[in-house]
Amino acid sequence: MSNAPNTPEQISHSSRSTVSTWLARLEGPQTMGRGPAFWVAMAALVLAASCYPAFSDPYTIGNAAYFMVWTFMAMGLGIVWGYCGVLSFGQTAFFGLAGYAYGVVTINVGAAFGLTWLALVLSVAIGGAFALLIGYFMFYGRIKGVFIGIVTLSVTLVLETFMAQTAGPNWRIGDARLNGFNGMSGMPPLTVPWPGGDIVLYSGTALYFVLLAMVVVCYLGLRMLLNAPFGNVLVAIRENPERAEMLGYDIRLYQTLAFGLGGALAALSGTLYTAWGQYITPSSMGLTAAALPIVWVAVGGRRDITATLLGSILVIAGFQTLTIYGSQYALIVMGALLVFTVLVAPDGLIATAMDWIGRTLRRTKR
Amino acid sequence: MDFFHTIFSVMYQFGDAFAFLVISCAGLAVIFGMMGIINLAHGEFIMCGAYVTSAAGRAGLPLPLAILCGALAAAIVGIVVERLVIRHLYQRPLDSIIATWGISLIATQGVLILLGPTMAGVGTPLGSMALGERSYSIYRLVLFATSIGLLGSLYLLFYRTRFGVISRATIQKPAMARALGVDTRRVYGLTFGLGAGLAGLAGGLYAPTMTMVPTMGATFIVESFVTVVVGGADIFVGAAPAAAVLAIIRASLTAWYGHLFGQIGLLVAVIVVIRVMPGGLSGFLKRFQR
Amino acid sequence: MTLTPHGMRFAALFVGAAISGMPALAQEGPIRIGVLEDQSGDFAAATAVKVHAIELATKEINDAGGIAGRPIELVIYDTQSDNRRYQEFMRRVLQQDEVDVVFAGFSSASREAYRPIANQFDGLVFYNNQYEGGVCDDNMIVTGAVPEQQFSTLIPWMMEEFGPNVYTLAADYNFGQISAEWVRQIVAENGGTMVGEEFIPLGVSQFSQTIQNIQESDADFVVTLLVGSAQASYYEQAASADVGLPMASSVNVGQGYEHKRFNPPSLANMFVTTNYIEEIDTPASNDFVERFRAMFPDEPYINQEAANSYIAVNLYKQMVERAGTTDHDAIRAVLGEGDVCFDGPSGNVCLDPQSQHMSHTIYLAKVGDDHSITFPRVWENIEPYWLGDAGCDLTKNDPSAQYTPSNPPPAQ
Repeated sequence: MSNAPNTPEQISHSSRSTVSTWLARLEGPQTMGRGPAFWVAMAALVLAASCYPAFSDPYTIGNAAYFMVWTFMAMGLGIVWGYCGVLSFGQTAFFGLAGYAYGVVTINVGAAFGLTWLALVLSVAIGGAFALLIGYFMFYGRIKGVFIGIVTLSVTLVLETFMAQTAGPNWRIGDARLNGFNGMSGMPPLTVPWPGGDIVLYSGTALYFVLLAMVVVCYLGLRMLLNAPFGNVLVAIRENPERAEMLGYDIRLYQTLAFGLGGALAALSGTLYTAWGQYITPSSMGLTAAALPIVWVAVGGRRDITATLLGSILVIAGFQTLTIYGSQYALIVMGALLVFTVLVAPDGLIATAMDWIGRTLRRTKR
Repeated sequence: MDFFHTIFSVMYQFGDAFAFLVISCAGLAVIFGMMGIINLAHGEFIMCGAYVTSAAGRAGLPLPLAILCGALAAAIVGIVVERLVIRHLYQRPLDSIIATWGISLIATQGVLILLGPTMAGVGTPLGSMALGERSYSIYRLVLFATSIGLLGSLYLLFYRTRFGVISRATIQKPAMARALGVDTRRVYGLTFGLGAGLAGLAGGLYAPTMTMVPTMGATFIVESFVTVVVGGADIFVGAAPAAAVLAIIRASLTAWYGHLFGQIGLLVAVIVVIRVMPGGLSGFLKRFQR
Repeated sequence: MTLTPHGMRFAALFVGAAISGMPALAQEGPIRIGVLEDQSGDFAAATAVKVHAIELATKEINDAGGIAGRPIELVIYDTQSDNRRYQEFMRRVLQQDEVDVVFAGFSSASREAYRPIANQFDGLVFYNNQYEGGVCDDNMIVTGAVPEQQFSTLIPWMMEEFGPNVYTLAADYNFGQISAEWVRQIVAENGGTMVGEEFIPLGVSQFSQTIQNIQESDADFVVTLLVGSAQASYYEQAASADVGLPMASSVNVGQGYEHKRFNPPSLANMFVTTNYIEEIDTPASNDFVERFRAMFPDEPYINQEAANSYIAVNLYKQMVERAGTTDHDAIRAVLGEGDVCFDGPSGNVCLDPQSQHMSHTIYLAKVGDDHSITFPRVWENIEPYWLGDAGCDLTKNDPSAQYTPSNPPPAQ
């Protein structure tokens, strides 16, 4: 596959089909990892992940599925923050909104006929639309820098404060009571319609595979998107917004679209979380919850989607392991890890590690 | 007479909200406004000041002295933190969020492990005064006076003293300051220490009125942040008027519709203000200065 | 009659047969109890003591031979005051650690977060906290006090003592709103008037406006249902503004021991209905406190949740021994017999088979000017009657839901 950038002539050349254009974008300047060695390693990883359930117990598989639920939000933040340079505290707002949307829809229409999947799509759409709205408000209002963080944080906290007091019986949408701080429960998990009897995707092996497939599809799709002209423009905006504007790009549009995409991914996480645990609560939109995705992405690596994906899984798993075995010192170790990462490996631990591996391999080639 | 009572009560509510915002955001305004560092550990410096003040107060020191001890302790911790961590982050504001959040986690959990989930506080001094059918806490009037005094002293410090001028120069044009022989590293350290000390002062001032738990900083942090950011980069032209505006919004909404609307109204006001004035209040007001 | 060697062998055989015929408990290893409590984070002040209470009960039971000869093994996780940890660890404790019973939760949100998981794996969970009432779920056994126990005793007494005008100050979420609903109902039933109701979002710590509202109203006493350390700042602020009204609460003092943490006289003239605090001066209570402090000398305070957790371990022991097994259906059958009772630090308490909640002795605690506690009144054996009356009967069916006065169980 050629490593040359996609020039306009190449794109319009009729002998180059759209499919192969997009496939070529799996590798590119905006994502780490190229060449057969990388893809073989990736394929081996996916294969290992697929075989993993055979060697493990139901709890660990369900737990692994739980980790994968959060990766979409992390990847979304990776796009918004890492690629577009916009630090947003708002991922959890879209997370929570979509979670509640899924709950309201499925409680009202039920789980038969695969309607839970329709609810999933609808919730992601609602989350993405809300993100586009907020993005429009911010970027077309020329808000930038830390102010975006404050505005998104305020939006998140307004949602949390509002939802926390919806405990009364008058707070309902159809059959679904919002139930305030105690949280909404009673929604069905994702259900696959099947002739012999619906397959209900509780936390377990079936859900694990569905999520694994989603993660792989999402990851590959994002790679292609980020190496396409769209991704190039995002990075250009991150590096120097004025220059990008002077080159003729409407940076507000690109930022809003990227923000909307990040929001849609956060909404996907929210829907999957609600379906996984049959529960959603306003504290998933609180201050700590809003800061967590930033922590995962910062420690994992934000400049690159692969680093974000792998890094956030490792950090989430690491924090849980610390909590289980470290008892009261877990939070101190987490804090120390954050400080360490910022001082020693500011691009993220995974990104720095991948960089280092790449450099070592290249050195040994000579 | 009743009219006077009502006016006084309205002014009291406003002054109370204003004092809270000004005192809690002063430290953050110095650190963020002057240095561009986003300090998510601000709440923990407040907690440090509050804890030291309570401990000193219970050990027998009179309250004003105890508060000064609290502020000093927080300032010292601030200087140490600056030397170890913040020093490396001046060009990287977004990274300062992560690092200071990590410090905040360490501080909160560390205090929980070392000192337990709660600490006995000191009582609120000075009692109350009655006016008409309502009584008011005199201490809260003192807090209002303190907030005015704080703004005044900071102004004097930054605009009338040598340290203030050097500090502002270093932050605006560090290379030039270095060329003129200023030890910029020391200035940064001292300014951060000042910001931390102001946070500790806030903790000490409010310690007699609040519960002492390791996570007590969380009640201050959102409001201090929004005040500072709405105010924009300059603490005097920005943060003080921002605190006034937000205090009016907060106090009136709470008085008319209750705390929920006060909370939400404050956050919505922040969103609107930032949208209308993307540079914050100080950016907006500075345009009139030219 | 003397035993010949032949006779002794026969006797041994007989005894051996008898032993092996007993329910096979002794051979199955330790009984594992999962403990999910917030030992760090916002709620740690009131919940760390619950773990200690469970450890004390475990030690005492193990020293006496365990539950039917099997020792208790504790599997403890710190849920960091985070609902997601409750979901993760409830799954872990039921699926991987495969414990026999779980003691979990402080806030109602955490309970609602883990309930679907407990239902999915048919776990048995003890919720040992006071809360807003209404959980009708046969996977849950609730030892915490509920509003009908605390308010039906407190409010009429306060109204008789101080007057009919009531001002409610409640935290603005489920617990506060539902408790306020109960207060409203009971005030109306007793011919009083609500002169004001204010709901405070969690995390608010500045109360000047509220204090002014209370002073301007005609209230005879204030019902304070404030939750969390931020909202607890009200007491100090109200005292310094000299509000001077008596206060009634179901949630302060008994849970967060504010009378020890705040300076006198901020909590003076406060009346709290609780099912246990360490100041109770009965032989059972004093003995309990002595044993507790012997094992944990630095414990800041022994609150009602600690007593509930201690009682819960002993109730579980009783039910397992009576059922002969840790199987959940057998334990529920024992519960259904209606006479599972325990004589604990707070007196005699029994589990109600219809709602799987616990009856309580309710103590009215008065906080004095120097924050010392006296007990003007004690009500014995107050049942958790509301759920059963409203139509929840877990001996017949399991709706696995939470009900409130404005959202009662559907009519059968």
